[in-house]
Amino acid sequence: MNYVYRFAFKVFLLSIYFQLPARSQDISLSVITSGKSAPSEMKLAQLKATMRGERLRWPDGSKVIIALLKTTTPIGTNTSRKIYNMSANELNKYWLALVFQGKADAPNFFNSEAELEEFVSQTNGAIGVVNHPSASNKVILIDGQRSL
Amino acid sequence: MKRNCYAHFFSLIIALLLGTAQQAAGQRTQIRGFVDVVSYYQNGKLNFGLGEQDLFITSEITQRLSFLGETVFKYSFDSPTSFNISVERIILKYNYAGNHSVLIGKHHTPINYWNDTYHHGRVFFPTVERPLLFAQGFIPLHTTGVSLQGQNLGRLRFGYDAMLGNGLGSGDIEDNNPFKSLTLAAHVKPTNGLRIGASYYHDVISKGSTIHNHYGGTSTVAPGRISQDILTGSIVYNDSVFHKKFEVLAESSMAMNRSDSLGTQRAIASYAYAGLRVTDKIIPYVRVDDIQYGSKEVYFMDNNTRSYVGGVRYEISYLAVVKLEYQHTKSHMNNISDNIIFQIAVGF
Repeated sequence: MNYVYRFAFKVFLLSIYFQLPARSQDISLSVITSGKSAPSEMKLAQLKATMRGERLRWPDGSKVIIALLKTTTPIGTNTSRKIYNMSANELNKYWLALVFQGKADAPNFFNSEAELEEFVSQTNGAIGVVNHPSASNKVILIDGQRSL
Repeated sequence: MKRNCYAHFFSLIIALLLGTAQQAAGQRTQIRGFVDVVSYYQNGKLNFGLGEQDLFITSEITQRLSFLGETVFKYSFDSPTSFNISVERIILKYNYAGNHSVLIGKHHTPINYWNDTYHHGRVFFPTVERPLLFAQGFIPLHTTGVSLQGQNLGRLRFGYDAMLGNGLGSGDIEDNNPFKSLTLAAHVKPTNGLRIGASYYHDVISKGSTIHNHYGGTSTVAPGRISQDILTGSIVYNDSVFHKKFEVLAESSMAMNRSDSLGTQRAIASYAYAGLRVTDKIIPYVRVDDIQYGSKEVYFMDNNTRSYVGGVRYEISYLAVVKLEYQHTKSHMNNISDNIIFQIAVGF
């Protein structure tokens, strides 16, 4: 009988162990841009304000264009949590409401890092969030760090 | 001199359009929609009803010029097809510098937070219906005109709207009198989730004007010339306190209607909403509405009304929300009303 309890207890511990990575999966994020419109370094508060659509223009006058991975992707979920302090659902609602109010243009959402990287590299004023930045775009330092 | 001035103005417009036309290749257009259906129990019987179908289009025409259109299809008793089409918003927005823009077209008057934020998308509404000050026609819902808008300026994230438009009693293609309505609104967002705002509205309504903008609570024809001023204050809080997300929204408007015969009459309409997100998806809420009119009111009907709403909202996702709500309404001109309503609102 003790064997059954021990077995059940081990199954319980294992189930907790396998649940943990899914809940606390932490992916490092890098903020990328192309061209000279966006600054090469930003404070975290500035980044958050920019990504929330509170800044419509870069200092050179070009439009701030936000590129994000879809919230159904692990990087998109991490972006919601780390930069927006929102759940994926809250982030989608936030943007839908902002666009509906006419206060900002919707971000461009992508399925993969490669698509997002290509969009940013071809779009002046674009700023995006990825996990593995490629050489085609420059990484914006956030509080002096390459990744969040 | 005047002709010269007009020539300069049109030259500027043409230059702007030519300058933006080169970037038109990057146009991005999105079509979204919102719809809701309800079921309600009132006066001893169960009813089913259609809400509004709201078609919402945005288009980034150039990097500075954008379009927003909102058209509502809704049931109408008067229409031969039982439904009416209502153009709620047509806005051309030109972002001329930083966070400053000029907008022209038909707007939801930025007189209070609810009217400027939720519009017809019931999936966003915290309650089933708008506060009573909308149904009572207390505030001008729409304005066709031009406005200057600024947003998220400085550390306090200051925002402003200055709007000049056709006044009450006018249509969407011309003004019915020489007077223009003026809306001045300002707000600050000192922290995330907190927004404090105030506005001032002024209009002169000509004698005999038909008030198209209102569908209840006001006289349909202005009995004399009325000068109207509306002051509004609002506070919104929607963020975490001790890990629980609170939603608080309170707004109050004071309308001062001045006529030659009766002097100035004051009316005050307020509502307060509070919700608590007990889980990620479930939000119980309450709302209290109160409208008090002056006894010699010339523009509004003297229909003092108080209402209590209690309900629960279940957010299936950001595109689907169900609400179950009880509303008790007591008004001067109507019987006490008790209503239980269930609503499904979706975005698509």
